[in-house]
Amino acid sequence: MRFQDVEIRKLSDTMWEIPREGGMRVPGLVFASEAMMGDIVRDEAIRQVMNVAHLPGILKHSIGMPDIHWGYGFPIGGVAAMDAREGVVSPGGVGYDINCGVRLLRSDLTVDALRPKLRELVAALHREVPSGVGSTGFVRLTAKDEEKVLTQGSRWAASRGFASAQDIACTESGGTLPGADPDAVSAVARKRGRDQLGTLGSGNHFLEIDEVAEVFDDEAARAFGLFPGQAAVLIHSGSRGLGYQVCDDYLQTMADYMRRNAIDLPDRQLACAHIRSPEGERYLSALAAAANYAFANRQLLAHQARETFLRFLGMGPNDLGMRMVYDCGHNNAKFEEHEVDGRVRTVLVHRKGATRCFPPGNAEIPEPYRHVGQPVLIPGDMGNASYVLAGAPEGMRLSFGSTCHGAGRRMSRTQARSSVRGKSIIQEMERRGVIVACASHKTLAEEIPEAYKDVSEVVDVVHDAGIARRVARLKPLAVVKG
Amino acid sequence: MLEARGEDLPDLFSSCVLALFSLLVDRRTVRGTEIRGVEAAGETAEAQLFSLLREALLLFAVHKFLARSARVTIEGKRVTLTLAGEPFDSERHSVDREIKAVTAHLMSVKRSPGGYLARFVVDV
Repeated sequence: MRFQDVEIRKLSDTMWEIPREGGMRVPGLVFASEAMMGDIVRDEAIRQVMNVAHLPGILKHSIGMPDIHWGYGFPIGGVAAMDAREGVVSPGGVGYDINCGVRLLRSDLTVDALRPKLRELVAALHREVPSGVGSTGFVRLTAKDEEKVLTQGSRWAASRGFASAQDIACTESGGTLPGADPDAVSAVARKRGRDQLGTLGSGNHFLEIDEVAEVFDDEAARAFGLFPGQAAVLIHSGSRGLGYQVCDDYLQTMADYMRRNAIDLPDRQLACAHIRSPEGERYLSALAAAANYAFANRQLLAHQARETFLRFLGMGPNDLGMRMVYDCGHNNAKFEEHEVDGRVRTVLVHRKGATRCFPPGNAEIPEPYRHVGQPVLIPGDMGNASYVLAGAPEGMRLSFGSTCHGAGRRMSRTQARSSVRGKSIIQEMERRGVIVACASHKTLAEEIPEAYKDVSEVVDVVHDAGIARRVARLKPLAVVKG
Repeated sequence: MLEARGEDLPDLFSSCVLALFSLLVDRRTVRGTEIRGVEAAGETAEAQLFSLLREALLLFAVHKFLARSARVTIEGKRVTLTLAGEPFDSERHSVDREIKAVTAHLMSVKRSPGGYLARFVVDV
């Protein structure tokens, strides 16, 4: 397989190596099937995997997941682990939407029981869960409250009665990243986020009611509380304007740092600073704060969804049984222990459009799931499927405990809009059996199922590569979009 | 990728700012009842434009202000932007997409046969 003048070596049916050349410090490694690789080499994502390999302190490989596509500097679907002493941290390796992620709530309801009320329930969710540009959350935050959100994340939500102990236990990192410093977050960023906590946002963010359509792994599904025919809620959102601004602010900080320290990289959006520099440490404190905002945001969205179900269906919490399965981020940089060259080292794992997927036995996995592996939530497009996976052992050996994060775009937003001109997407989705409530029809046009790769093919690759295994397939029944 | 043209640099920069606001809202629905000013600076035309667009985006992202028209003046490294517009009103304005940031990715300012041409990418 060739990308421009680069010969890419096939390692197996699911893995491809991009050899080191020029200033690359490590080779590239891409997880993809042969057919997917044929598509991937057509855009600039491979060049971006190669560019990331230039970063100081990068270990083993610059990694691309099967949902990889062109991003700003780093590809989306990219993983880069840095030596914690010598390496760098790059805001572009996390992305603008810091700790954007997915949360799955299970219930004791069957889809058959819910279906007659589904349309009205979706309308209620659309009313109660703020979405779209300019929407504001139901919680009014003072500057002091916002500081607590930034340092405590989901634990702040629990202190206000918006989260249960089980919610916290089943959130990655317990819903709070340590080391967050509100002072590292600019006043502009804080202002941008102040009235947005508990809002879905727009673009590809959504709240879905799904059916557990297929179970592949009975033991893991049982541990996660999932069964066929069950109704579940999937939420995709992030750190809203606050996170975007943190990234934007620190891209400038890092660009100055690079000039002062004569770090030369192939793309200015890879701007970075050494982890142990004041600039690097300050960004990591701001990153943790924005990540905590994202955890609290998804917690409030889940709270609103759960309350809406309870009120609308007139049920008690025990009858509804709407409990957290898991909440995992897919835009982050975290210190973790990984084996490199035969010894365990602390490394900073950048995941931009990639999900952590720790295997069974890892102490970071909530106790009820530890024997089956970390739940991994992979949203697909709004017409077809999303997946629940579990972390598997090869992930630690091959990809720093990381897997894919979604379907990955096939069409640009402009291409998607042109392809649907004149068609009613809401009617088209109804024909497919999916009810849609949305704030903007333009955004909806950009999110048509055809704009995305087939998420099932993406999941097949990570399953076959042994980095995460299939647990269940979810089928969308109703979607609320911004 | 957004592309804008102008007869000279001030004209080009104001076209870029209006392109940014047009991505947010149909500017015909925005009244020019209030004036806001923004200042930016940079060593090169690209750096000036990047800085100006980041500031312009914050007018909406932080202050919920939508622009109908724009005027730019440049003195040395300093750029001054004056906008006529009004605060976002969810009853009258349909803002279709959230712009996360203006990126430095592939940003360019070039002379063209009719004046100047700029290209820039925003993250939505």
